[in-house]
Amino acid sequence: MSDKALPPAVTVALGAVAGAADGVAVLYRGAEGLPVLGSWLRRTRVELQARGERVLAAGIEVILDELDLNTLARQRLDLIGLANEVVDGIDLPAIIRQSTDSVTAEVMTDVRTQGERGDDLVSGFVDRLLGRERDQR
Amino acid sequence: MNAPAARRVAGIVSRGVAAVIDLVFVGVVLAGLYVGLILVRLMLHPSSFSFPTVGVVFSTAVMFGVAVLYLTACWSVSGCTVGAVTMGLRVTGRHGARIAPARALIRAVACVLFPVGLLWVAVDAHRRSVQDIVLGSRVVYVKP
Repeated sequence: MSDKALPPAVTVALGAVAGAADGVAVLYRGAEGLPVLGSWLRRTRVELQARGERVLAAGIEVILDELDLNTLARQRLDLIGLANEVVDGIDLPAIIRQSTDSVTAEVMTDVRTQGERGDDLVSGFVDRLLGRERDQR
Repeated sequence: MNAPAARRVAGIVSRGVAAVIDLVFVGVVLAGLYVGLILVRLMLHPSSFSFPTVGVVFSTAVMFGVAVLYLTACWSVSGCTVGAVTMGLRVTGRHGARIAPARALIRAVACVLFPVGLLWVAVDAHRRSVQDIVLGSRVVYVKP
């Protein structure tokens, strides 16, 4: 979309700059491999990188301090509309139905298991009382 | 029903709880009938309305009728009453098939008239009630 919006001359120029930057990077990396000059170049690059990161971090910090995101969000976003859209997107009845179904099924299984265990308990007790062999049923 | 031999016969606790649930269900149906009777009277005689008094014999007869009808219908259609569904039980014949309506009717009458027969389940080696022994029925666990 953005490629079509820009004139061809600008894109060509951007491509040439990017290509030149890549070429410089390759050349510099090659130069770092040189015997005496290489180590100095590498050290310089690492220092510059570290300094750049520090400057960038400080700049971002300053920008974030200056920005009042809450006010910006209130001014530029339709929060109520957004909230309504999110709430509309949630299928609450389906979620309630699903959770209710699973809870009911669990309760039923539990009740049945307890009943069966109770049956076995009573049977075992009566069998012992009457001196009967077990597992006849 | 396809593998009746694999089904375990239910014991006194499951069947007792199922019976209590069925009793409560019949009570709810009777209460519904009574409310219906009140509404009909109110509709027909709104000016001289009074709560109907039902005699002991009448209410006993209605309870007997409702209970027998309910049990017969459930046992002959699916083998499961409300209590049986809750406890995961089913009434079957000796070979695991559903019992015939006539046998279901006799079993229902026997169960309503002689509910104490259920207690024999605890003593019997094959977990049969008196009604099961006489009519050749079984109550088995239905695994989901």
